Amino acid sequence: MAISKGSNNSPFPKHAADQEDLVDENTILVQRTLRSGQTISYHGNVVVLGDVNPGAEISAAGNVIVMGALRGVVHAGAGGDENAIVMAFKLQPTQLRISDHITRPPDNEAVDTDHPEMARIKDGVVTIEAFQTPAERQAKP
Amino acid sequence: MGEVIVITSGKGGVGKTTTAANLGAGLAYLGKKVALVDTDIGLRNLDMALGLENRIVFDIVDVTSGNCRLRQALIKDKRLDGLHLLPAAQTKDKTAVNPEQMQALCDDLRKEFEYIIIDCPAGIEQGFRNAIAGADKAIVITTPEVSAVRDADRIIGLLEASELREPTLIINRIRPKMVRQGDMMSIEDIIDILAIDLLGVIPEDEMIVITTNRGEPVVLDQGSRLGQSYRNIVKRILGEDVPLMSLDEGGFFRKIRKMFGME
Repeated sequence: MAISKGSNNSPFPKHAADQEDLVDENTILVQRTLRSGQTISYHGNVVVLGDVNPGAEISAAGNVIVMGALRGVVHAGAGGDENAIVMAFKLQPTQLRISDHITRPPDNEAVDTDHPEMARIKDGVVTIEAFQTPAERQAKP
Repeated sequence: MGEVIVITSGKGGVGKTTTAANLGAGLAYLGKKVALVDTDIGLRNLDMALGLENRIVFDIVDVTSGNCRLRQALIKDKRLDGLHLLPAAQTKDKTAVNPEQMQALCDDLRKEFEYIIIDCPAGIEQGFRNAIAGADKAIVITTPEVSAVRDADRIIGLLEASELREPTLIINRIRPKMVRQGDMMSIEDIIDILAIDLLGVIPEDEMIVITTNRGEPVVLDQGSRLGQSYRNIVKRILGEDVPLMSLDEGGFFRKIRKMFGME
């Protein structure tokens, strides 16, 4: 694969996000579990390599991806972006917000799912669906 | 050079003072020279847990403000030679001492004692900051309740942020029957959230009410299972690898119940 060189001679092309499906926003990587009382607030995407314990809060202008159990409060699209998503290996937040939509889990006994799930706004409502890779989506009849 | 261990929890009433008294007494029983320090200024209880409340002349605030020497304030335990108590003040509050004074106090105690156990008050404010100021290690106490675990998680975050890395955990007041029935958080549930090493588990036991009211640490009661769980934790602090005690009732009665299909 040819690597196009930018004018500054680095191996990375200057405008990597010319294509539509590449989100060009800043992203921070949190490389630990967030404990109760700890908060992350960022004007971009937030990726957590760990859990988000109850009592912890994430507020992101962009998307939030938690590679672990999300049990705290999460706010994606905090600046008003209705296309923002929240994804977690275990999606069990005490409260989930996307843009100005605020939702919480049902009051009755919550279903303990063991697969990754994604929350986003579909037809004006926050919906949660099983996270499927493009290959899995293709495989569906 | 002594080791300073702070016993903290965040949540109130989970057993910090009782555990501090029992671990201190347990270590002293095994021949160690131990100082117990009560930092719950204004709401002192550690003296009562040891039955020493009538012997208080000077307290921690007297020491830090220079009214007396440390020697004068330390109270020798009435049962154990190696155990000493530095009581809190009852008529002041937690602003009477600051972290720098606590650090100096711990440095002084280190010269004379092998183990210094600090009983931390509930909360995350000045009292907590004072208690952890001079500590080398931290033990976090929690009960198997969601509110206690939530507070313990907060405390662990604060401990990690102040360089007291790798605190260990004691789960107090566990009821194995309720855990089996799914009505109470299990050890695994708690460790799943808190993610720190387990130091020990202490079962719920009515004897605690009796022994704390009498000011007699139950760790000294050789016939008590509750005392045995504290003794096991003391051995683990000293580096011994002790397996977790089975917390269910004695094996004989369990077998009888199983025979009659009662569990």
